[in-house]
Amino acid sequence: MDRRRFADWSLKVGIGAAIASAIPGVLTLRGKARSAATKAVEPGDRLVFALGQNAGQPVTRGGFSQNEAVLAYPEGKSDNHENLVLVAKLDPAELGPPLDMTGTAEGVVAYSAICTHLGCTVRFSEEPMDAAPFPHIHCPCHSALFDPRHGGVVMGGPAPRPLPQLPVRLNDKGEVVVSGPFTSPVGVKA
Amino acid sequence: MSIGGWVTGRLGLDRLRAKYLGKPFPVHSTFFLGEIALFCFVVLVGTGMYLALFYEPSAASITGGAGPMPLAYASIVAIDATPFGALVRRMHHWAAQLMIASIVLHLMRIYFTASYKKPREVNWILGLVLLGATIGASFAGYLLPYDQFSVTATAIGYGIARSVPWVGPALADYGFAGAFPSPSSVPRFFAYHVVWAPLALSGLIALHLVILLKQKHTEPAAARAVRAPADAHLIEGVPLWPQQASLMAVLMLVVIAVTAVLSAFLPVHPSAFYGPPQPITPEVKPDWYLLWVYGALRLIPGGLSFRFLGATIGSEAIGAMLVPGILALAIVLVPWLDRGTSSLYYAESPTASPRRLAFGLAVVTLFLALSLAGFGAELGLGVPVLWVITLAAPLLVWWGSYLLAGGRRGAGA
Repeated sequence: MDRRRFADWSLKVGIGAAIASAIPGVLTLRGKARSAATKAVEPGDRLVFALGQNAGQPVTRGGFSQNEAVLAYPEGKSDNHENLVLVAKLDPAELGPPLDMTGTAEGVVAYSAICTHLGCTVRFSEEPMDAAPFPHIHCPCHSALFDPRHGGVVMGGPAPRPLPQLPVRLNDKGEVVVSGPFTSPVGVKA
Repeated sequence: MSIGGWVTGRLGLDRLRAKYLGKPFPVHSTFFLGEIALFCFVVLVGTGMYLALFYEPSAASITGGAGPMPLAYASIVAIDATPFGALVRRMHHWAAQLMIASIVLHLMRIYFTASYKKPREVNWILGLVLLGATIGASFAGYLLPYDQFSVTATAIGYGIARSVPWVGPALADYGFAGAFPSPSSVPRFFAYHVVWAPLALSGLIALHLVILLKQKHTEPAAARAVRAPADAHLIEGVPLWPQQASLMAVLMLVVIAVTAVLSAFLPVHPSAFYGPPQPITPEVKPDWYLLWVYGALRLIPGGLSFRFLGATIGSEAIGAMLVPGILALAIVLVPWLDRGTSSLYYAESPTASPRRLAFGLAVVTLFLALSLAGFGAELGLGVPVLWVITLAAPLLVWWGSYLLAGGRRGAGA
């Protein structure tokens, strides 16, 4: 090997090594993984109000009336935005498939409040509108429309998937308690 | 010997002066749009340097007068609490809006006068990259006040990034430093907005201008009539010093004055009004330059999706990636769809090519129709009606402008 070829190879190997050494640094750009600080929802968690003067207090059967909904977190797990759920109280006679009926109690149903379209927080409305002449869930961002009586299925707008249902039950104090995992992945799916 | 003469002698400024200060600049009122964008960038850098002295890039919660709030939000409220701070922050916002507006008008001027033709294809691409980088810089800046509006807008951006086929989740996590909203996102976006974006924009602007100087500006179409064809490569205009420089100085002062007056009377992005971030989502619409993406997202029904090479292309990816991607690709490819055979020296008349005029107006109409779709609820128009408008209006405009510009006659002859 002559000197010119040696210098040429040294340069190429040097550049390659410099690039390779940067890879671990680039991988840290991903940000921190969800750690112990951000816990996922688990069966047995009590749901507590996310907002308002009752924030942090348990959501109870008597805490809201029929055709009303509140935003809630599993107790102590409000750091994880994906835990935000919408708890609605509906007429039990109107509930039907594909809703998981075992995950409802006295008309109380819970859904992920993260829109499956682009992740905005959905809203509940009891006022009928043309596209949904019944209590419905809609997203203020791009007008996705969901049916809370039937498992959160898409009734209109751009959402690609139903809202994930969070099965709940009532404990002996009338508090809303999680009874199972979300029925599908929360938020925007790739 | 004077100080000026000493410096001139040491740095050889005489040769520089002889070579560059006499550069001719053709004058036309539409040739200043790019300069306006440049001066907006100068205003942005100036006001941004001031704001960075006070802004605190942290989502950590502090206890303010009205309860816990993120540090970044509190620092913005503190900036707004001083009269000068509020003015500078508004000027920063207004200059960003004006910069994008002038880039879009500049782009339209280049398109409709065919100035993208050989040999200016490279600067056409660079200009489009500059537009994209400016919108990217604005998007990164959007999060920084960390009010409810900012967080909602950025969360939608995170959702869009996640919806990208194949690489979405990794792209979103690398770009936003973990699942948004995460505490790492604010320092990350601060770095994007105050270091990476201004550096990239400065470099791209410098390259854009060097290429312009090298290739020379197009002359107004009228110049062709008074010049022998053999002299087409020559260029007439006012010299850089002092005429063009004075015009630029006046224009720069006008840009500063306009942003100051707008900022004095029209509030923009009032963070304290939006309040600190909450779990609920407010009714938000993006800024005017992204309304068309917003409209497209509302128009694409959730059931519309297809599988391609193992990835599911869903409604959100169609609305926020596929539709804008196809439009962007069509605009990027313009110099190759409408190729010039010889080098272009004179700007063409917008009506010289009915096909170019019709295509340009149709694309502009499509952007406007998609933006209109963003206001469907306010206008009482349903999604089917908006679909008809979005598809029919560009076709009608294409057909009408093609005929009016004499397209049929040209084809028949």
